[in-house]
Amino acid sequence: MGTPILELQNISKQFPGVKALDDVHFEMQAGEVHALLGENGAGKSTLIKIISGVYKPDTGVIKLEGQPVQFNNPHEAQAHGIATIYQELSLYPELTVAENIFMGHSPHRRIGPFNVVDWRKMFEQAREILDSLNIHDLDVRRKLSTLSVGNRQRVEIAKALSQNARILIMDEPTAALTEADVVRLFDIVRLLRERGVGIIYISHRLHEVFELADRVTVLRDGQYVDTKLVKDTTEDDLVSMMVGRTIDNLFPKLEAEIGKPVLEVRNLERKPMTRGVSFTLRAGEIVGVAGLVGSGRSELAQTIFGITPPDSGEILVDGQPVTINSPAAAMNHGIAYVPEDRGTQGLVRQMRLRENISMAILRTLTQQGFINRKAEAELAARSIKQLNIRAYSVDQVANKLSGGNQQKVVVGKWLASQPRILIMDEPTRGIDVGAKAEIHRLMSELAQQGLAILMISSELPEILGMSDRILVMREGKIVAEFDRSEATQERIAAAMMSAAAPNNANGVPQPAAMQEA
Amino acid sequence: MTVIEASSQALSLNQRIRALVFSQEGVLLLITIVAVAALSALSEPFRSVENFLNQGRLLTEIGLVALPMTYIIITGGIDLSVGSIFGLTAVILGYTWQNLGFPLELAIITSLIVATIAGFINGWFIVRVGVPPLIMTLATLALYRGLAEGIAQARSARGYPDWFYQLGQRDLLGVPTQLWILIVAAIIAAIILARTPFGRSLYAIGNNETAARFSGIPVGRNKMLIYAFSGLMAGLAGYIFVSRVSTTRSDMGTGLELDVIAAVVLGGTSIFGGTGSVPGTIIGVILIQLLKNGLSLTGVTGDSTIVVIGTVLILSILVNNFIQRRSGRMSS
Amino acid sequence: MAAITREKFQRSAAASSADILKRLANQEVILLAAIVLLTLFVSLYEMGALGRAQPRFLSERNVVLVLQGNAYIAVAAIGMSLVIISGNIDISVGSLIGVLAVVGGNLAVWLDKNSLPVWIAWIAPLFLGGLAGAVNGFLVAYLRIPAIVVTLGMLSILKGGLISVTGGEWIKDLPTSYFLSQQRPLSGLPEMLGNPEGFLGYLASVIGQLPVPVYAMFILTIAAALWMKYSAFGRSVYAVGGNAEAARLSGLSTQSIVFRVFIINGVFVGIASVLFATQLSIIQSTVPAGVELLIITSAVVGGVSILGGTGTAVGAMLAAILLSAITAALLFMNVSPYWTKAFQGVLILITVLADIVRRRRQARQISG
Repeated sequence: MGTPILELQNISKQFPGVKALDDVHFEMQAGEVHALLGENGAGKSTLIKIISGVYKPDTGVIKLEGQPVQFNNPHEAQAHGIATIYQELSLYPELTVAENIFMGHSPHRRIGPFNVVDWRKMFEQAREILDSLNIHDLDVRRKLSTLSVGNRQRVEIAKALSQNARILIMDEPTAALTEADVVRLFDIVRLLRERGVGIIYISHRLHEVFELADRVTVLRDGQYVDTKLVKDTTEDDLVSMMVGRTIDNLFPKLEAEIGKPVLEVRNLERKPMTRGVSFTLRAGEIVGVAGLVGSGRSELAQTIFGITPPDSGEILVDGQPVTINSPAAAMNHGIAYVPEDRGTQGLVRQMRLRENISMAILRTLTQQGFINRKAEAELAARSIKQLNIRAYSVDQVANKLSGGNQQKVVVGKWLASQPRILIMDEPTRGIDVGAKAEIHRLMSELAQQGLAILMISSELPEILGMSDRILVMREGKIVAEFDRSEATQERIAAAMMSAAAPNNANGVPQPAAMQEA
Repeated sequence: MTVIEASSQALSLNQRIRALVFSQEGVLLLITIVAVAALSALSEPFRSVENFLNQGRLLTEIGLVALPMTYIIITGGIDLSVGSIFGLTAVILGYTWQNLGFPLELAIITSLIVATIAGFINGWFIVRVGVPPLIMTLATLALYRGLAEGIAQARSARGYPDWFYQLGQRDLLGVPTQLWILIVAAIIAAIILARTPFGRSLYAIGNNETAARFSGIPVGRNKMLIYAFSGLMAGLAGYIFVSRVSTTRSDMGTGLELDVIAAVVLGGTSIFGGTGSVPGTIIGVILIQLLKNGLSLTGVTGDSTIVVIGTVLILSILVNNFIQRRSGRMSS
Repeated sequence: MAAITREKFQRSAAASSADILKRLANQEVILLAAIVLLTLFVSLYEMGALGRAQPRFLSERNVVLVLQGNAYIAVAAIGMSLVIISGNIDISVGSLIGVLAVVGGNLAVWLDKNSLPVWIAWIAPLFLGGLAGAVNGFLVAYLRIPAIVVTLGMLSILKGGLISVTGGEWIKDLPTSYFLSQQRPLSGLPEMLGNPEGFLGYLASVIGQLPVPVYAMFILTIAAALWMKYSAFGRSVYAVGGNAEAARLSGLSTQSIVFRVFIINGVFVGIASVLFATQLSIIQSTVPAGVELLIITSAVVGGVSILGGTGTAVGAMLAAILLSAITAALLFMNVSPYWTKAFQGVLILITVLADIVRRRRQARQISG
């Protein structure tokens, strides 16, 4: 092998409370498809943001073709031939395909004193670039907003090529694509590889890695695990490399007495992401919901909570059928929902801690219709004490708290509603280890007090550590169910990821196949 | 442990004073006091009680409309149609009374109902159809004014019975009658905004509508309510105006929306939503009226006083931006 | 599934007739159709219900008046389109037109008295407009005050300033050479063609009667449309309004683009003020009421999305003509002119709702 086109050595990056990357290595040859694997939160996103110039590493060296480089912003990385295709596309919906491809460097010509955009040349060149990618069916004159997601993505790739990209970073490019679009995307990726472009490919779908990649690098908890040739490895190897850590004592799961069913969901439908879901949740029970991002877990939670009311199906609380068409209705039936994204869904960051904690139950803290400020402050103070929130005052603005404390405020808001059913969506995402342990302890205690908890998580150790039962979702359906005793990381991961029926050496039981049949 | 103990205490007095002085309301109050002092020194008639009361009469209409506008802007919306609803109410009042032969009391009630419905239509389209507030109320600005003109056909209704003028032209306990209405309305609006779950929900909606909805707050219902409230208050202001000037014309209230929005924004409500208060708005309304009045009394001619208002508006936002940025830097 | 998708792609590859139709179904075509339908409807109504032998709506005089009526609005709407496309708004344009009209008028009188060329009074407002736009743009782009607040303040300052400086005095005794808007560049056309009969004669007569503002409207609209399509700057305005974050990542300076957009808007307002002022025999020292709303309405009805990122100058012009045609139509149908604004309001509402429905359907097609 020659000089690597891209080399990263000893890269570390620290965020407040979290070490996102710790001494990570990465190396790629020209004309290679290099897969980057890891669980959510393993540090993949941070790594590609460092490569694409969004973040600067705290320590470590980036070399392009052997030369050390430093990027102060994404623009500088682009100038060095590094193009990134993000999941949220950075395109202009109201401009044509050709303009999107050439934004910032469109061909011009002179007419007298005027330097005008040469549309004919731009259309021609856009056509050429698309032709060179074997894309013959995309009209370069169409507005981007009229294209499907798959076609927009191909425009993104063409845009990267128009800037002579030598390194292309693709972050879960197939997440939103149809089968047909995936096939076409793979053709393009192979074409680029032949032309000597280095491609960093991030995907949760393991079979894609085997179909497409030459080498694979695995990250875990911000640390470098290994780099292997794809042909020398198996799906099982990769899964165990990704999840292969022991469950530490971060999860002080206490035994709770499991009582009667409090929440029963039957054939719940809300197109497109909730498709015929049925399950039962009992008092004192913690049920974990595992699944990849985009498997419909949060959508299910939001349907149960009334944010996107169901199209059909039944929800029973304490055995009685109930109608839930708004969050207020869900609250009236004792359901609470700690949402996935605390910044946009959980907290009103500009408002005070007191105001956030009281938000869901403010109507009960009133005297003759007026807010009882004393009761409100007392509630907030109790929450602060119960959840050990580190804040100097109940009047502190939520934005000024750390991530973990912000999350505790959201939890506090919903505990204040004295729910009997608590849905927690990624309860510990992006918070530090200490706060994580506190939230886990709290969940255990709540279960002991008889609360029924539905916990959605992308972290398998958390799912395994906390859950009495585990549901696995894929494509809007529950495809597997495991008891605490029979669940292993490998089994859950296999059920989450494999598009085909799991067929691995461990002999995973096949509830998935049964449910689908 | 000390952390937790401190947390249940409210802000110290010192902190509160600092917060007040450095808030937009504080800055504005200071400007108002300075302006009143300067104008009083310059002009004898300005400092008379009579003059102040008369100014109170004149600012009532803008003040009434500014209350719901404060709510709306706090939620991140806007209502440009208030001036047209104001005019429509006046016309409906005159038309139903003089042309349709309604008893005057019924005509008043009818016009206020129409005004409320006009506001509700704004809210319904904004919430249920998803039309941006600026566009929706721009369209109804033309539509409601058009209805007023179409119904009025350039006629004006005059010659109301004597009791009708009590509201607009007479005093109650030595104070202009309509000023009482504004005072009561402002106090109620201030309390609702600051002390009730409904008021709190408006701030939550303006800062983060998604989180508000996820917290079980009826976002759509509350928004429709405040636009309907805006219609009602524009109608009430229109009715008071008719009583004050003794006639109805279809062009009444033209440009009112800009005066009202200027007062609200001047009073510290962010045009992007999320912050603002009724006392701030009231100070904004008063400051604008006093500047108009004081400057005209000191010899600056009539409408030219709005130059000062425009300048004060831009400057106050600039100063506020500057303070926000500095305090943001200090605390971070 | 895969087969269907592939077939769909192939179909879109060939420029099928459905595709052409789709491309035509944009706001400009809808507006043009609305104008044609309105003309047909009014003419038939006149001949049928009112028993007129010749529809007066189509008389040469009326066609000229409809085109001329909102010409200055259309010109100002070009600038407004740019401002809105960039994601901002300017509500001070009406006041600025009023101020610049008075400045231009006074300048014309002064120039004439001192035997200086009067055309300077046609040019000066353009610079002053650009200057006012620069102030707005600076406050919005660099000091980051919301555009609606800045231009609201500017509105007050201009409106008040106008009255305090002039004392409300009207400008009379305007030199005849100042009345640009009453000049008809092609008035000799029918004669040149030998006074033809029939439709050609009608056309020649209409063109012969067109005054300068109508030419200005057409020429400036076409120039602006070309400029917005062919200049790198024109395209970057769409980029800033459509996806400001992405524009920044592509290395565009959003601040300087917004600043320049406001300056350009000011120049267009300057031109509009000249067209407005030079058609009056007396210039009143007040701000014309509601002009800013007519201008914003024209831009929005013309297809400029208030959320930024999309719209055209041609659409804005057609919308201005449509608004003017509705006024005339109501007149010829013997509907009281006092209902004009109500009809305009309904029209705005319908176009906005149609736009929202169209966008939703588009979004559903893509995701479905």
